[in-house]
Amino acid sequence: MNEKVAALLKSVTKPGRYSGGEYGEVQKDKHAVSARFAFAFPDTYEIGMSNLGMRILYGALNARPDIWCERVFAPWVDMQEKMREYGVPLFAHESGDPVREFDILGFTLQYEMCYTTVLQMLRLAGIPIRAAERGEEDPIVIGGGPCTYNPEPVADFFDCFSIGEGEENLVEFAELLIKMKKEGGFTREKFLREAAKIEGIYVPSLYDVAYHDDGTIACVTPRFPDVPRTVKKRIMPDMDKAFFPEKVVMPYIETVHDRIMLEVYRGCIRGCRFCQAGMIYRPVREKTPEVLQKQARTLYDATGYEEISLTSLSISDYTRLEELTCGLLEWTDRNMVSLSLPSLRVDSFGEELMKKVASVRSSSLTFAPEAGTQRLRDVINKNVTEADLMHAVNVAYGGGKTAVKLYFMEGLPTETADDLAGIAELASRVVDEYYRGPYRQKGRSPQVTISVSCFIPKPFTPFQWEAQDTMEMLAEKQAYLGSKVTDRHVRYTHHDARVSRIEAVLARGNRRLAAALELAADEGFCFDAWDEFFDYDRWLSVFARTGIDPAFFANRAMGLDEILPWDIIDCGVTKEFFKRERARAYAGKTTPNCREQCSGCGANRLGGVRVCCPAGCKEKK
Amino acid sequence: MKDNEQKFSLPLLPEPRTVRICFHKTGRLQFISHLDLQRTFARVLVRAGLPIWYSKGFNPHIKMVFALPLPVGVESECELLDIRVEREMSDAEILRRLNEELTDELRAVAAYPAERKFSEIAFAEYDCEIRSPLIHADAESAVRSLLEGETLPAMKKTKSGEKEINLLDAVLRYAVRAEEGALYLSLTLMSGEGGTVSPELVLRTLAARAGILTGDPMRESYRALRRRLLLSDGVTEFH
Repeated sequence: MNEKVAALLKSVTKPGRYSGGEYGEVQKDKHAVSARFAFAFPDTYEIGMSNLGMRILYGALNARPDIWCERVFAPWVDMQEKMREYGVPLFAHESGDPVREFDILGFTLQYEMCYTTVLQMLRLAGIPIRAAERGEEDPIVIGGGPCTYNPEPVADFFDCFSIGEGEENLVEFAELLIKMKKEGGFTREKFLREAAKIEGIYVPSLYDVAYHDDGTIACVTPRFPDVPRTVKKRIMPDMDKAFFPEKVVMPYIETVHDRIMLEVYRGCIRGCRFCQAGMIYRPVREKTPEVLQKQARTLYDATGYEEISLTSLSISDYTRLEELTCGLLEWTDRNMVSLSLPSLRVDSFGEELMKKVASVRSSSLTFAPEAGTQRLRDVINKNVTEADLMHAVNVAYGGGKTAVKLYFMEGLPTETADDLAGIAELASRVVDEYYRGPYRQKGRSPQVTISVSCFIPKPFTPFQWEAQDTMEMLAEKQAYLGSKVTDRHVRYTHHDARVSRIEAVLARGNRRLAAALELAADEGFCFDAWDEFFDYDRWLSVFARTGIDPAFFANRAMGLDEILPWDIIDCGVTKEFFKRERARAYAGKTTPNCREQCSGCGANRLGGVRVCCPAGCKEKK
Repeated sequence: MKDNEQKFSLPLLPEPRTVRICFHKTGRLQFISHLDLQRTFARVLVRAGLPIWYSKGFNPHIKMVFALPLPVGVESECELLDIRVEREMSDAEILRRLNEELTDELRAVAAYPAERKFSEIAFAEYDCEIRSPLIHADAESAVRSLLEGETLPAMKKTKSGEKEINLLDAVLRYAVRAEEGALYLSLTLMSGEGGTVSPELVLRTLAARAGILTGDPMRESYRALRRRLLLSDGVTEFH
């Protein structure tokens, strides 16, 4: 460890966040490798170490003998203060070396509210935050993760982005850098021109963006003929063969997800119309139970974790779930390992699944009906009915659970007062179901929690053009729903609408937001994903002073023919599909899931093995 | 590729057996709290494929008992942990397997049948070192006179808040030596069920009273290493 860092650790909270030395960390000789990659997670160690993507890419990059990938996390505010006071720059976890000495600095952008933390980390590292101001001695700064499907708000701060799945893409990227550095005459400019030819690499400085007077985009022009007009996302076609980390870094301190995360498949067959993850990770690609069995066992032997979480967007949609869980239970039970299945859909939750998760200690189960009425559930294409929900809660009650948590959204397109009241009514009927059934136990009563988030229109969804409700409307709706919740067994919580609005601005923004983000960085914004640091009024002030109208990005219905900031990215699913889905939403028509019928979203152009699409289906013309 | 299923083919013992593990916790591991260490060991025992005994009941868990929690910021060469195994495995094999799953800074050095009870521990011996540009040869006599005095008051954090204690009540023995820039202290401190004082508290108090601190972490440092655990006679080493 860096001696200067060590000197600070006796005077900060949770020094274990910075001390490193974990079992499984990768140490290499920095003089013997050709490229040093700093993989940064713009949040605390506990959150970053819970991210599966980071673990996979750390493994994939370090599998190459000539690349050394190290981890970097955002130091907590007390540590940041000390680092500034004593001139200690941002350091990498494994070597303790300053991040600025690295060849590549990668940030994974998991949520928009991390952008200010990214900029503070660059400042702490002593790297100019604007890509255009970086010199030949600075690392190449690359971004990846779900937020890069609209990278434009942070385009000025990144040299490039890796769009889609990074297992192969990042390795190719690093190899190109190694090759060009070996051949001599490496410059940032030359390298980025070449990197833009790698499928999935987007170099924003190679495009000029022109705007109309009303602030919408007039055109986006590649600056050179060999620069692609759109950047297609990368996928791993065969998930059985995708890189899988057999060695895992074991954090000493408790992290958010302190368990085995077994990724069962990528993508989602459902097509909920508000859900970005359900669209950008298409096509669905499953792993086989045989491979998953082996991977689960390998991870268990390598970690000693007492819980295996089957992670995917909607685990009950896995075609061979029964086979997989039965196989796992053959050895997990006698090893005192419990299985957890997050993201259960109500329409698939039966007694069989209940038994398998019964060993989980929590007494609560969570379901996400998302909307309070069937009409609105059809608009958002949730494709679950009240009967499905009632069946699922009966199974839960029957299994001894008394706490049920229900997720909803407010501010969805076409929402009316009836839909909001419907949330409270549905929750009450879930309570009633307990008393109707044979579940009464002495001293126990049902507790239904409704957690209501605010709809945020996200790029690459059928609702990407929608206006978000204004703050006043959201507040009014929250209060209205609160007044409708009268059942003493129902607890109502809702998200902070102010955060959701800033998130909407950052999610649908364009390059002009860079000025606001830079000012926010100047004023010390950091950890905006944390309630205690988020300050709505300061955000409004920053926007006002940089001439940005947040309503233009959050509360304006965008034109169907408008050039959208994220049109530069090709996520596989076509704009035509989103338009069709939007029209069906307004007509209150649902769309069958991908397994029932292909709706021609376009993602199967990307290929893929063990995809969900029915055999022989073709994209609709 | 290891196979942790093998443990199920070992013969069951008539009764679970308690094995005492002695381990070092040094270097970067000084920053890991006791609670985090417990969680870490639970996973290490599983990874090592030891035939661990689980408590019976609704929520089976691994039984682990640590001798004396080590404060964050203190290193140790004499940490003790009792585990229980339910199948036949030699102490040497347990030690070997554990070390395959540990790092240099968290290293098991011995495994043996537990004889004495942890409640018999009364003292712990520490090697300490303070480095600061304000330390000169005269610091030795300054510190010595503090330790020879009547009282050395300090505020100790307790569950119910802070209370003032006399640190000298907790110091059984000491040795001190100073040179330009460094002060070396050997401290034998009360540690155990009768009460525990952290060497860090003693060091900080002495350093503050002797006026040898600059307040700048880049120019000064301290280190404390727990060397031995002792019985109430203050002489016999506890194993």
